[in-house]
Amino acid sequence: MNDLLHPAPERLSEYLDGELGDRERAQVATHLQGCGDCAGAVDQLRAVKERAASLPARGPETDLWPAIEGRLKPRGATAGGRATILSPARGWRDWRVSLGLPQLAAAALALVLLGAGGLWVALERTRPSTPAATTTDRTAPDFIGPTALPADFGFVRYDGAIAALRQTLENHRDELDPTTVRIVDRNLLVIDHAIAEARRALAADPANPYLNHHLADQMQRKVNLLRQVTALIHA
Amino acid sequence: MILSALAAVILTTSGLSDRHYGRGAHTDTTTDVKPGTRLQIENFGGEVVVEGWSKDAVHVYAEHSARNLVEVGREGGTIRVVTSGRRGPPLTAELKVQVPRWMDVRVSGVYTDISVQGVEGEVRAETVRGDVSLLGGKSYVSLKSVEGGVTAKGTRGRIEASSVNESVKLEDVRGEISAETVNGDVALAGIVSDAVEVSTVNGNICFGGEIHDGGHYAFSTHGGDITLGIPGEPNASISVSTFNGEFESGFQAKLFEHQGRRYRLTLGKGGADITVESFEGTIHLNPGEEKCE
Repeated sequence: MNDLLHPAPERLSEYLDGELGDRERAQVATHLQGCGDCAGAVDQLRAVKERAASLPARGPETDLWPAIEGRLKPRGATAGGRATILSPARGWRDWRVSLGLPQLAAAALALVLLGAGGLWVALERTRPSTPAATTTDRTAPDFIGPTALPADFGFVRYDGAIAALRQTLENHRDELDPTTVRIVDRNLLVIDHAIAEARRALAADPANPYLNHHLADQMQRKVNLLRQVTALIHA
Repeated sequence: MILSALAAVILTTSGLSDRHYGRGAHTDTTTDVKPGTRLQIENFGGEVVVEGWSKDAVHVYAEHSARNLVEVGREGGTIRVVTSGRRGPPLTAELKVQVPRWMDVRVSGVYTDISVQGVEGEVRAETVRGDVSLLGGKSYVSLKSVEGGVTAKGTRGRIEASSVNESVKLEDVRGEISAETVNGDVALAGIVSDAVEVSTVNGNICFGGEIHDGGHYAFSTHGGDITLGIPGEPNASISVSTFNGEFESGFQAKLFEHQGRRYRLTLGKGGADITVESFEGTIHLNPGEEKCE
């Protein structure tokens, strides 16, 4: 590996997981010694892993997991079979994180989806002062660019999960007060508008850490609102 | 202890007035409680007012339709006050509940305004279409509404306040603060805290309060302005980010600008960590107290 070339995000994740061969591991280690961006990215990945490992082994608070789980496709199935989905019953401590750099923000979102909030605080504390690594394998399905969905990470598809929550809301729409439904819809539109603006901005400036963070915040907020509403349905 | 052994007490006497639906009625009952007992109130619609008092007893006074039941019962260490319809869905009820100040109180409703004051135990209040207000409080506090506003004043403790479609206002609060809404403003005045997290999507944020060394303060909005008023001579490292917005600082600190409208400035020794983000609004950083009116 040429030291001038940044390792692909997947390599950094594999490096962290100890899955690289001796030669490649040495190359990455050498690169990290001279590349602050990649070293910072590895630190972030490590923080996510540690945070995930520290989460209690518990399932989601609502009974939406089956619907959501059905939407979550193991990315590993199409990317070498590395990633695995663990049901909540198997516990978080066994969760193996294999993330690309642009997906860090969405990782926090996914943990919220799975009933484990609080990661965002941890990420907030470790927010990078410099942009995350800008080298990205544009052929990889996880690439976040102008034409991709930024929250599509690893083995969890944000849009699929949102669709599951949306579907739950649609299925039970009649059980809610029409005014409440209108207000919820209006607020979802407000969030969607913010997400769309953040995505456009990110497309123009994909390395901007604030925009990455902001987009993930809005997506997380949408999930939270949908979860709040579906909780009303189940109340 | 006259009523304490009863599993459920329903005291309905003939009406005060014809309120809301059909013949009016009221419920008036007092239950003695031991320290550690919790209170849970569920009122589908109307109003719930909870007040702390000096007695070790829970007094429930409710005005409601004769077609409503107000049940006061005990389940383990919890006193439950639940409104329900005699036939069909519950109608509105106006509840005034006096509780020992030490009591943990949980109130939930749908079309319900909730007001709590003088309670020093844990307070959790949640409604869908109604306002939530708290006066005082000395423990963990969670206030939530979907369609209504949320306010707290004089609280000492950790507070989580959220709305969806209205504003959140906190005044004279000491303790950890989390405040959020989607389509409303957030105003925090007279704050003394070393952990503040505020966010909204389509609203303004105003903060007036002390900044403590080692504290963490985060403010984020998408479409609104942010105004921070910081009195005294704070030690803070401030990170400001925007995309389409502006940044105005009244502090005489050197400003470092990064690519993409991101700024960093350090006040004093930089002991606190402040993050301010507005996607397209203006960020104002002002010396001195901000009243956030």
